[in-house]
Amino acid sequence: MTVLSGAAFYCFFALFYPYHLHFQEQYQLFESTWDYFQSVASLPGGLADWMGRWVTQFFYYAPVGAAMMSVLLCGVQLVTWAACSKRTLLTYALSFIPSVLLLAFFCDENALVGSVWALILSLGAAVLCQGIKKDRPRHILKVALVPVLYMACGSLAVVFVLVSALREGLKYWTWDLSMLLLLVLCVLLARQIFPYPLERLSFGVHYYRYHNLVPFLLWLAALTAVLPAAVSLVNLKEPKAWMGIMVYAGVAAAGAGLAFNAADPTKEEWMRYDFMVRMQMWNRIMLTADKKNPGNPKTVSCLNLALGKTGRMPDYQFSYFQNGPEGLLPGFVRDHTNPVATGEIYWHLGMVNTAQRFAFEAQESIPDFQKSGRFYQRLAQTNLVNGDWDVARKYLKALRNARFYRGWANETLSLMDSGEIFEKRPELAQARDFRLKEHDFLFSDEEKDSMLGLLKVENPGNTLALDYLMAWCLLRKDLDRFVECIGMVEEPMMPKSYQEALLLRWVQTHQDFEGLPGFLAPAHALRINRFIADMKSGKSEEKMRKDYGDTYWFYYYFRYRNAE
Amino acid sequence: MKHLLHIGLAALAIIACSPREHNALQVQELPAIAPDYVGVTIPAGIAPLDFSLPGADALDVQLQAPDGTVLRSSGREATRFHEKRWARLLVKSVGGSLKVTVSGRFHGQWKRFQPFGIYVSKDAIDYGLTYRLIEPGYEVFSHMGIYERELSSFRERPLLENTQFDGCVNCHASRQGKPEDFTLHIRGSHGATLLSLDGQLDAYNTKTDSTLGFCVYPYWHPSGRYIAYSTNTTRQGFHAQKDKIIEVFDLASDIQVYDVEKNQVITAPQIKQSHLWETFPVFSADGKTLFFTSAAQVEIPGELPQSRYSLMKVSFDPETGTIGRDVEMVLDAASFGGSINFPRPSYDGKYLMFTLCDYGTFPIWHHEADLWLLDLQTGETRPLKEVNSTDTDSFHNWSSNSRWFVFSSRRGDGLFTRLYIAHFDENGVAGKPFLLPQRNPVTYYEDLFRSYNVPEFVSGPVPLNKIRAQKLINSPERVPFGFRWSN
Repeated sequence: MTVLSGAAFYCFFALFYPYHLHFQEQYQLFESTWDYFQSVASLPGGLADWMGRWVTQFFYYAPVGAAMMSVLLCGVQLVTWAACSKRTLLTYALSFIPSVLLLAFFCDENALVGSVWALILSLGAAVLCQGIKKDRPRHILKVALVPVLYMACGSLAVVFVLVSALREGLKYWTWDLSMLLLLVLCVLLARQIFPYPLERLSFGVHYYRYHNLVPFLLWLAALTAVLPAAVSLVNLKEPKAWMGIMVYAGVAAAGAGLAFNAADPTKEEWMRYDFMVRMQMWNRIMLTADKKNPGNPKTVSCLNLALGKTGRMPDYQFSYFQNGPEGLLPGFVRDHTNPVATGEIYWHLGMVNTAQRFAFEAQESIPDFQKSGRFYQRLAQTNLVNGDWDVARKYLKALRNARFYRGWANETLSLMDSGEIFEKRPELAQARDFRLKEHDFLFSDEEKDSMLGLLKVENPGNTLALDYLMAWCLLRKDLDRFVECIGMVEEPMMPKSYQEALLLRWVQTHQDFEGLPGFLAPAHALRINRFIADMKSGKSEEKMRKDYGDTYWFYYYFRYRNAE
Repeated sequence: MKHLLHIGLAALAIIACSPREHNALQVQELPAIAPDYVGVTIPAGIAPLDFSLPGADALDVQLQAPDGTVLRSSGREATRFHEKRWARLLVKSVGGSLKVTVSGRFHGQWKRFQPFGIYVSKDAIDYGLTYRLIEPGYEVFSHMGIYERELSSFRERPLLENTQFDGCVNCHASRQGKPEDFTLHIRGSHGATLLSLDGQLDAYNTKTDSTLGFCVYPYWHPSGRYIAYSTNTTRQGFHAQKDKIIEVFDLASDIQVYDVEKNQVITAPQIKQSHLWETFPVFSADGKTLFFTSAAQVEIPGELPQSRYSLMKVSFDPETGTIGRDVEMVLDAASFGGSINFPRPSYDGKYLMFTLCDYGTFPIWHHEADLWLLDLQTGETRPLKEVNSTDTDSFHNWSSNSRWFVFSSRRGDGLFTRLYIAHFDENGVAGKPFLLPQRNPVTYYEDLFRSYNVPEFVSGPVPLNKIRAQKLINSPERVPFGFRWSN
């Protein structure tokens, strides 16, 4: 059953939820140094936290991460079962409950892996202590372990206290009470030593990314980890095999339901797009969008970047769902998720300072104050492009301590030393060439068109900036500005969406098509005629979407209505 | 006994591993040590000035006091002077200099460099420093706090960190280095100004109906009865060019004086003019003058490069809390072609140090920012060339005896602000500054991703009860500031 459950856990993370694992990984920078260990492990719960971070670094590769999560969750089950004084089919089935609850807990991207280690260590310590046959040494060891476990696992050390008490059958209640009081004392003492409020020292300094929230599912899992040991106390008849199987089946079914209920496919989709942007999988983004159009501004902005990077934006942008300018260049939001993909867009556009700001701010916004390998990489890149090589080296040196970033950091440092960095890293050379050199401005959300225009003016080769400028005007339905900018388009064939926008402008300002410029294809003119006729006939939006959903006209009249 | 033997053997092994200079080539140049402590002036009460020798795979250093006492340290990365022996050596060297002989091993060959001196001043330095540590960022902040550093050792302790509450800890300002009296501002959902008077801590709401906003930049009156504050509507802008990253500017600002005894903010029309931006108020050493900086309002962001702050002063009567009627210009920004920031009078009343940058009121993001000195007796000004660098040299504060000053500088890597301390002699000449000492300083500062902000000397440990502070901050209750116009 344990193996079966392990396989189910693996499949869940590897097949259904892999991008949550990538997401977790990008919000930490696990450094294999003594200083890092000290800084993490010196807080209550620090050892478990460090072990959790160690595991999380492997989420860089989702299948490996899924395997590790599966092993950890199975570990919780096994140690829960081992903590029972009577190992029956019933307690075996019940021992799966904490793992299942933890599976649901980890559907939340803010759940931290250290919490699982804390539970395993606490339960494991209880099991080990029970192996000591002599009463007095066992009790003394248990009491001595309370402060040790509080420091190693944090407040989940309470599981150790409860399971230990239950394993003793509550016979030695004075020892049990001493352990409980000692744990309370540890919390109160920690308050004097560590700069954290009492609530956090009581409910875990680092089990969850947001400090001011108590992770309910985790504590429920902790409580249920005590349950089998409690059931062992009750003198039940040995249940029949079918009863155990039924209970197991019930737990499995409830777990599956709970996990799929706790899972958030919308977030998983966005994390998937974000991952593909990070890895620059432009074609895969479009293939994914072809299967299911993204609807969230964050995911749409990833799709638009892919269209821009492959030169398909002017022709195909409106073949996909568009939700306004926010889906092209989302505004800055002070959190650790929103600026990530947007910062990637600015990086590819050549707005190096803005990319730096977004990466820096996203990292500073990480609620549990961790650093990020991904953002350190970007900050090293932006500082390199800006000529701030000392600062870039600082980030790179930190990245050298991280298993999955070491190679890249070492290679970058050697390229810097050999002076070949811009030759061997074309992405950096492009950012250096695209960035503004003559003009300066203070970034303004209201003047994105001017900023994009300047990028194109200073670097005629920056076609992405032009695509974004035109798309910005189109998505804002600012046809006047679009017409002003159309002179910058130098393509021999006017792209589809530009033709559609110009035709729309034409019909808004002319009575007929006489004198229509030659670069506007007659086929599009005929189609807009049909579109106007259908609009006048009062066709439903759904019908219009079926016939014209791939046109700018449909967007203009039926999408982003806030602009009107 | 067995344990003792093990410990002894381990110690012997460590000693045996320490690289020792032998067969050294004598070279005629000074060693390029990091940090650059060659020829610096230090106080007797400073922690060991450990350093590295870049390029060398080992170094062996000998310090010699004027009486011939020697202290030696060697290592592969950096020196590690014994703290107590270092302290004794400095005491023996007061008024003279330590002779420092550095040897480095380069590709297996030892080289002995020309010795240099470290001058040990007779002037004492305060107990420690307080400062804020924060990543040099934009609008959002991660882990940060106010810390206290004992100068005679490497001991640093947090006074208040934002792990204790949701918010940002702003700069700590004490009364002329007196640790019991300080003000500290918290921003965010738990916004408050903490005020400690003789160690008694309270949380205040400093915004009144008659003033612009919350109190921002503080400076204590020498008597401890008043605190001068600015109140600023501050915004940030982000440049596109590579040499400029961030611009911080005010859209409005005034200055005001808080009467601690009456719990009232005092202001006057002459320091609250609508067409002027007044900021950075400081009291003179005798407490009878209020210095501040002021600039004519300009259009933001277009005219930001024309925003230049002059140094102004107005009289102040500590008996009645009356602000004088006549505001006088002390230094005209136009004559400098720059903008004056962070005026700080020395506590002996002789000088006023300020930061000059091309424009604006936030020089930390200006690479050209330098420290300047105004002689309050002669009115002469000069750049402090002894300490300035090619990168940002900015916020500064005096020691309680006005013989030392601490300032923040980005000379290291251009971004992360570090603290430098310089001696200041009775003739108004500064010594070569030295970087705040750390064990293995190169590695320490390389690994430190936070900047030092608003350093300030303190004469003793700050008696801040962090649990009480945390309770006050997390509680919604705030003592409101009263208000009165100056007579």
